[in-house]
Amino acid sequence: MKDITTRIIKNDKVAEKTYLMTLEGDLTETKPGQFLMVQVQRSHEPFLRRPLAILSCRDRMIEIFFTVRGEGTALLAEKRTGELVSFIGPLGNGFSDPAPGEHLLYIAGGAGLPPVLSMAEHLGRGMFIFGAKTEAEIPLHNRLQNLEGIQTLFCTEDGSLGTKALATEILSRVIKSLPTSTRIYACGPREMLRQTWNIAAHAEIPCEVSLEERMACGFGVCSGCVVETQQGNLRVCREGPVFDAQDILWGSR
Amino acid sequence: MKTAVRIREDLELKNPIITASGTAAYGEELSEFLDLSVLGGFVTKGLSIRPKRGNPTPRIAETPCGMINSIGLENVGIPVFLKEKLPYLNQFSTPVVVNFFGETEDDYVIAAEMLSIEGIAALEMNVSCPNIKRGGIEFGKDPESLHTLVKKVREVTKKPLIVKLPPLVTDIVVIARAAVSAGADVLTCCNTFPAMVIDENLRRPLLGNVTGGLSGPAIKPVVLKLVRDVSQSVHVPIIASGGASTYRDVIQFLLAGATAVEIGSESLRNPLCFLEIIKGIEEYMERFRMHSVSEITGTLEIV
Repeated sequence: MKDITTRIIKNDKVAEKTYLMTLEGDLTETKPGQFLMVQVQRSHEPFLRRPLAILSCRDRMIEIFFTVRGEGTALLAEKRTGELVSFIGPLGNGFSDPAPGEHLLYIAGGAGLPPVLSMAEHLGRGMFIFGAKTEAEIPLHNRLQNLEGIQTLFCTEDGSLGTKALATEILSRVIKSLPTSTRIYACGPREMLRQTWNIAAHAEIPCEVSLEERMACGFGVCSGCVVETQQGNLRVCREGPVFDAQDILWGSR
Repeated sequence: MKTAVRIREDLELKNPIITASGTAAYGEELSEFLDLSVLGGFVTKGLSIRPKRGNPTPRIAETPCGMINSIGLENVGIPVFLKEKLPYLNQFSTPVVVNFFGETEDDYVIAAEMLSIEGIAALEMNVSCPNIKRGGIEFGKDPESLHTLVKKVREVTKKPLIVKLPPLVTDIVVIARAAVSAGADVLTCCNTFPAMVIDENLRRPLLGNVTGGLSGPAIKPVVLKLVRDVSQSVHVPIIASGGASTYRDVIQFLLAGATAVEIGSESLRNPLCFLEIIKGIEEYMERFRMHSVSEITGTLEIV
C-alpha cells in the first residue's frame, strides 16, 4: 500500500459543517464502506490522519465526505482547489454484496451518510431512509432525492424537511411492509445503530452496520479502535468498519 | 554495512531503526507498506502469558504534536504469538525482539522462559506494570523491585535482555543502574509518559481508561535528555524511544548516546517513515564521511 499525494479538484460545503472533497485519482477495487486516512497537514500538528469515508470513485475522481468536528476537519474544510493532500487507502472491509433478489434498505443518520449512500449508488435499488437534526444538516439533497432506482425518505428531528421523526422511527413503520428477504445497510450515531439492529433483529432481517471509533493508525497496528463483538475485540479499521449487527455486543459502552 | 549497529556481541542490527512496541502489532499490517527486512529490528506488541483484552474505548486521544494511548496491553498471548505470529515475522531477515510483561515476578520469569527459543533475537521487558506485592508501585519505579525482577528473568534466559525504563521517576539513573546491575544487556529509554486529556464540556476524561501514555514529537526533547543522562551513567547500549519522527531526530538521539532508536507514533501516521529515516541516516553519514554509526553514538560536543 502506498501513501498517495494528489490534487484537490474541489472542496464544496454541502450542508452545515459538511464538505464533499473531490480528489484526482483512481483507487482500484474500492468497495462501498471503505475509507481513507487523510493527512491534514505535513507538519506534526494535527498529529494524526483523519479517517474519511469514500463516497465514490469513478472517472479518475475520488469523492470523500466529512463533517467538521474538531481542529483537523476544520483545517480540511479550508483546503481549496489545486492544493495537495495525501492519503493511504482504501482501508477497511466495506459492505458485503446482497444475495440475488434480496430486497434492500439503507438507513443513515447525520454524518453517517457517506458509506450508506456509496452502497446505494453502487447497487441502484431499494429504499433509503435518511435522518438529520434539521434541514440545514442534510447534504446532497438533490443527489439523494434523485438516486436512480431508489426511493428516498427524508426525516428531521424538527420537521424542517420530510417527516418529523427519527430515522429509526421511520424504519419501525416501514419494516412490517418489507419482505423477509430484506437486507439493511446502516451507518449513523451508535444509539441509532443499536436501535436499527433491535428493529431488524425482531423482524429477523440481516443488518450490516458501519461503525465509527477514534483511530490512530487506521490500518490495524495500534488496536486503538476496537469494538467488543461475539468474537472478542475486533478492530473497526481492519475487521470493520462494517460488521454484522448481531455480532456486536451493543450493551457495552 | 555502514549503518549496522551492535547491541550485544551476538546481536547486530543492519541499521539502528527499530519499531516501537505496540505500534507495529505483529508485522502483518506494516508489511503491506514496506518489506520488514529493511528494518534494523522489529519489536512486537507487548505480550503476556495469557491473552489480554485491554482497556475500554476510547483508547486514543490526539494531543499537541502527539497522542495518548490507553490500549491496555491488549495482546494474543505468548502461545498464540509463537504459533501464529512468529513464523510470519521469521520470513524476514530482521531480528525479532519480543516485548513482554507480567503481573507478578513469576509471570515475567515464565514468559521469558517461553520466549527463549530460536527465532527470537532478544527480549524487551516492559516494567511499567504494578507490583502487587509492593503495594502496586510499578516494578520499574522502585529500584529494589526492578533489581529483583530483572535478576530473576536474567537467570532463566541467555537472550539479549532489554529493559524498557519508565520515564517518570525521581531519578532515572538510579533505575537504570538497578536494571544493569541485575543483568540487563540493553536499556530502552523510555516508555510513554503517563498523561490524560479532559473534555471540559462533558467534565469527563476523554479516554475510557481515564489516563494513558503520551508519545510523539511532543516528548522528544524530554527523552533526549533522559537518554543522555542514562548513557552517561551506565555502560550498556541504549535504545532511544520517544518521539523520533525524522532522521534528524534519530541522529540527535545517537549523539545523545543511543545505539539504536525505536520509531513509534510517527509510523502510525506515516508507515513509510522507516524508509525515509533509513535513507536520511545514510545520507547524513555520507555527508560527514562516516564509516560507522559508532562515529555518531555519544559524540555530542559540549563547548
